[in-house]
Amino acid sequence: MTRTITYQQAINETLRQEMEKDKMVFILGEDVRVSPFGQTAGLVEQFGKERVRNTCIAESAIVGTAIGAAMTGMRPVAEIMFADFMYLAMDAIASQAASWRYMTGGQVKLPLVIRTVSGAGWAMGYNHSQSTEASFMHPPGLKIAVPSTPHDAAGLLRTAIRDDNPVLFFEHKFLFPTSGEVPDEEYAIPFGQADVKRQGKHVTVVATLLMVHKALAAADELSQEGIEVEVVDPRTLTPLDKETILASVKKTGRLVTVEESRARNGVGAEIAAMVASEGFDFLDAPIQRVGAPDVPIPYSPPLESTFIPNEDRIIEAVRRVLG
Amino acid sequence: MAFSAEEMLALYRKMLLVRRMEEKHGELLASGDIWMMGHFGTGQEAVAIGITAPLKKEDYLFPTHRGVGEFIGKGMVPKDIWAEYYGRTTGLAKGKGGLHLSDVRVGLMGLVGSLGADFAVAVGTALSSKMRGTGQVTMIYFGDGTSNQADFHPSMNLAALWQLPIVFACANNQYSELAHYRETTSTEHIAPRAAGYGVPWKIVEDGNDIQAVYAATAEAVDRARRGEGPTLVEYKTYRIAAHFTGDPGGYQPKEEIEEWKKKDPIDRFRARIIEQKVATADDLENMNREVIAEVEDAVKYAQESPWPAPEDIYQDLYA
Repeated sequence: MTRTITYQQAINETLRQEMEKDKMVFILGEDVRVSPFGQTAGLVEQFGKERVRNTCIAESAIVGTAIGAAMTGMRPVAEIMFADFMYLAMDAIASQAASWRYMTGGQVKLPLVIRTVSGAGWAMGYNHSQSTEASFMHPPGLKIAVPSTPHDAAGLLRTAIRDDNPVLFFEHKFLFPTSGEVPDEEYAIPFGQADVKRQGKHVTVVATLLMVHKALAAADELSQEGIEVEVVDPRTLTPLDKETILASVKKTGRLVTVEESRARNGVGAEIAAMVASEGFDFLDAPIQRVGAPDVPIPYSPPLESTFIPNEDRIIEAVRRVLG
Repeated sequence: MAFSAEEMLALYRKMLLVRRMEEKHGELLASGDIWMMGHFGTGQEAVAIGITAPLKKEDYLFPTHRGVGEFIGKGMVPKDIWAEYYGRTTGLAKGKGGLHLSDVRVGLMGLVGSLGADFAVAVGTALSSKMRGTGQVTMIYFGDGTSNQADFHPSMNLAALWQLPIVFACANNQYSELAHYRETTSTEHIAPRAAGYGVPWKIVEDGNDIQAVYAATAEAVDRARRGEGPTLVEYKTYRIAAHFTGDPGGYQPKEEIEEWKKKDPIDRFRARIIEQKVATADDLENMNREVIAEVEDAVKYAQESPWPAPEDIYQDLYA
């Protein structure tokens, strides 16, 4: 049996279920008691202030605190209110959380989750709109989840909380009200398993988060002309399910990557490089990357909508790879 | 409180061991036998050994990069230090940490290279022991230079807000890397900053007196263990060593160094031990020989230990 819930509910109830199961799981971050986006709303009433812990405005200290708690037996779920602010905690994430286990030769483990919210389109300007997940594919030792549906959000978050390593969990602010079906029974989605969101045979489009939905809309439109696009959602960027992406490219011979952030040094760049070195013989056309231009995110709506990749740009890229 | 004769000798031995370990490191570096630069704590041994003495084995310590003092103080043994310094598989981090020593069995949680990156991590271990109800105390040890790092501020704030069992121990050795600390720090004292967070603080004026260091620290550790929250203690001392082996030098006046050599914490403790008839000069010389032999044995153990294999590079990344 299945039921329909929103992306925001999926996150909220998974947190609740995991906190009920394991008293070592606790939440910390700015305003996690009231929760402006609602992911942690209502949890303080059930679990108390000890386990739903408001912190001061200090992202590096939120992550640092989570690292210390994790290495001594707790399972913290830290929240960084906006993905832009992940950069305030860059050393803590990229150098400390990522390396601590390695630096000690495996003497400690770091079962911690850092949840954050990405995405442009709300006219919130350059510092509340970024999608920063690609920045964290560079340091080793992290895992990165990028759910695009309520089903994936719940299943990946459960895996993240139970994982003994640092996991970055990116939520997209436009996805919170979207709804989808989830099984009635509890489930977890293993990391490193992409999901083919739409089957197709002419072009592979690899997309993440909100861009999955734009890719699906583009695929609907192209299908009316007989162009069948396969939409692959990696669901985790580290580890990356290379097999599913390569198998799709082998079938279609053409690859377009789509991400909301800048294409330069982005998620698509890594995927394109991987396919170029491991699946070159499958390719019938040069790979196309769709992403934002190399500028900060501007405020004014016409500028902001120019920044964010849309269905038209995905369709154009698909047409380019088809020649 | 006064140390028993046994305690005095045990602490003196640790201070000697630290000095001999760092001297040996300098020799091995000069002869090219080891390649890892040293950030020595010569002259600060009373702080490193005095602050760690009140800690229990299960307490957490976040150490500094300045020598091996607090590592020895917390219970790490020379052979484990040398094996790691030599980059061998017998090191506790199997050669991956090097200077970034850790011995989690004795609460040495790891040494960060980005100075100050461990302030909040220490808040996290203190929060964890409070939430788990274990009674463990966390100590974060840092220098006057690192006290200016950004995370000092939220970490003091959160430790005070949550009344965590943590001691902030600041060695003011007067030099922040290659400059006198007053070139880069606006105030003479670090500890009074604690008042801004509602945290009790104390200055140990003579940080080269291990008894004074111990007494102030023990009070702060006991407070933390009783659940009464954080304390910031500042220890005035002096860094006789350069910032790193081979640094350009010249920024510490020669007369100043000579003046502080007269206040050497090991010499002073030695004189007290002899004066109080806890041991004779001969006894202490014998102890020194034992310590030298222990260091030599540990170095030999490391030198004879196996190198990691290239494929080990992928081990220990993920749990």
